Amino acid sequence: MRRSDIALVPSFQRPASRVAIRRAASYEQDLAAMIHETLREFGLAVKDKTVLLKPNLVGLDPLGVMNTHPCVIAAARESFLRLGAAQVLIGDGPAMDRDTEAIIESVQLREFTGPLARTFVDLNVDDVKRVALSTRASCLKELFLPKTVLGADFLVSMPKLKTHHWAAVTLSLKNMFGIVPGSCYGWPKNVLHWAGIDNSILDINAAARPDFAIVDGILGMEGNGPIQGTPKPCGVLVLGDDPVAVDATCCRVMGLRPEKVKYLDAAGTMLGHVDPEKIQQLGETVASVRTRFAVLEAFRRLRQPDGGVWN
Amino acid sequence: MIPDEKNSSGPANRSSDSLFAADFCLPFLRNSQNADGGWGFHPVSESRVEPTCWAILALQASDNAAASVGKLDRGFQFLREAQLAAGSWAASPEMTTGCWVTSLACCVLTADAPSHDAVAAGLKWLCDDWPRDSAPWRRLLARFSSEHKISAQDDSLRGWGWTPRTSSWVEPTSFALLLLARAPREAWPSGAEQRRELARRMLYDRMCPGGGWNCGNPMVYGVAGAPLIVPTVWALLALRDDPNRAEFAISLDWLAKNIDDARGAGSLALARICLEICGRKWPTKAAALADFYRRNEFLQSVPVAAWSCLASCTQYDWLTGGIPERFAEHAKV
Repeated sequence: MRRSDIALVPSFQRPASRVAIRRAASYEQDLAAMIHETLREFGLAVKDKTVLLKPNLVGLDPLGVMNTHPCVIAAARESFLRLGAAQVLIGDGPAMDRDTEAIIESVQLREFTGPLARTFVDLNVDDVKRVALSTRASCLKELFLPKTVLGADFLVSMPKLKTHHWAAVTLSLKNMFGIVPGSCYGWPKNVLHWAGIDNSILDINAAARPDFAIVDGILGMEGNGPIQGTPKPCGVLVLGDDPVAVDATCCRVMGLRPEKVKYLDAAGTMLGHVDPEKIQQLGETVASVRTRFAVLEAFRRLRQPDGGVWN
Repeated sequence: MIPDEKNSSGPANRSSDSLFAADFCLPFLRNSQNADGGWGFHPVSESRVEPTCWAILALQASDNAAASVGKLDRGFQFLREAQLAAGSWAASPEMTTGCWVTSLACCVLTADAPSHDAVAAGLKWLCDDWPRDSAPWRRLLARFSSEHKISAQDDSLRGWGWTPRTSSWVEPTSFALLLLARAPREAWPSGAEQRRELARRMLYDRMCPGGGWNCGNPMVYGVAGAPLIVPTVWALLALRDDPNRAEFAISLDWLAKNIDDARGAGSLALARICLEICGRKWPTKAAALADFYRRNEFLQSVPVAAWSCLASCTQYDWLTGGIPERFAEHAKV
């Protein structure tokens, strides 16, 4: 079955999604144990499969504030291997800098995962295959996407919890911009901006919907994200089997209304659940970990008024 | 062969990087050519225009280019066959629309006499392809939207985009300027001179405060963008005929000061190429490319191996134009 067939199911036909919120005060905690335990709760069928972890590697980041933290990536890799995955690859295609090796070195990923020559896939320069975009949310009729992504048995989006100066928030759906190869579309992948960021997010996720999402919300970013925002400690990992539900939950954790995020609202009709009634919450409640994130003035409408009721 | 860690770690000199290039990178490139004559981004991956261009340039520039003549001929053949009817080149074989790699392919093919018509068609395509963001109607619309508050750049200045009908960016603009500098004036299509002037002004306009370039966003929401090594290298090389201009000098200074912060082999090799072409000494304390290779094996990247070869060259005719001397000598024979 093609990824797009799995992706596009009307909300009313889709079973409830599951999202787990775990408290993690720092990157020094035993994140592998926490992630492994949570993945077991989900009962993921990854034995003997090729798993591709897609972190959010935006740019040179020696301070670890804009990229998915290497501890979280390494912990997820270890957890999937413990669950019996045959191979766990890490892949991304950074948007602004074509020296991907420089970015992974700046975050010291190798120190946490071991040698990367055969584990890390630079999605910007992977072999590509044409994918027709059946959703036609944007004006793009097709995209050329990396064969590593299209061929992975299990795709995991691993963003950092951040606000975004154009898309409002950048979480597991927006993170998938990174699979679009720079070698075909440039650095940045400007054709997606021209096609409309919100609509491109929908098209990309319909073509290559992640099977799972793990959001690094231990240290997030607020304000003028995704690069120049302010670090914001939030102390959570958010995991789930529906990227839309994970992102909606993350918005609620950030004190933002997911239905006011254009692409997320649209994603809730075909790609997953935004409605909290359709999301089975595991672990901590949203209310217990809510940390209000500052947004740019243009996104003021997203803010949940103080005293709003969310669980 | 990768130099032994004990002998090569620490400060690099030309000979250690040259040995690494000759003993490891060149054989890597020679062995990575596909049956169709092209190179992929990695060994065994599908042939693409960009890595083929870098591999050809590296093999041409090597001291033993004559040994690669057969491979070069097949590489040129691959490039000629990959040209689209419109005169452009696409980034991937299945794609049917040309893009920025047209500049790179034309740069390479200027050294191949049978390809001069192909280069002329490529140049015409490039000069006919205007980015969309700086179109007058677009700028008028932008004036009435909130977009104009995002960045402070002058959108009337137009360069080239990565893909047709998008925005101007630093690297594709630099590659188009490098092509114009390399191609003989008589091959320039009408309007090329105007495009060149606008593009040069665009590059200066997009320089980051304090020197250097990133992809082309020097200031977003009032916050200065940080420069990056790779786009700075290409912009400097594209503008190198104007070395006395203040922006050029401070950007070159930025690059020289930031070599030690290069985290990737690609950045390191390109920085070396740029500094030496621009007459700066490569610092004796700079890291060795072989040390970078040991970390991640360059992620098996063909372009990075090619740049490493080009960084160890003592002549830069691959960039400055004409048929490289050593290759030309062989061609005469």
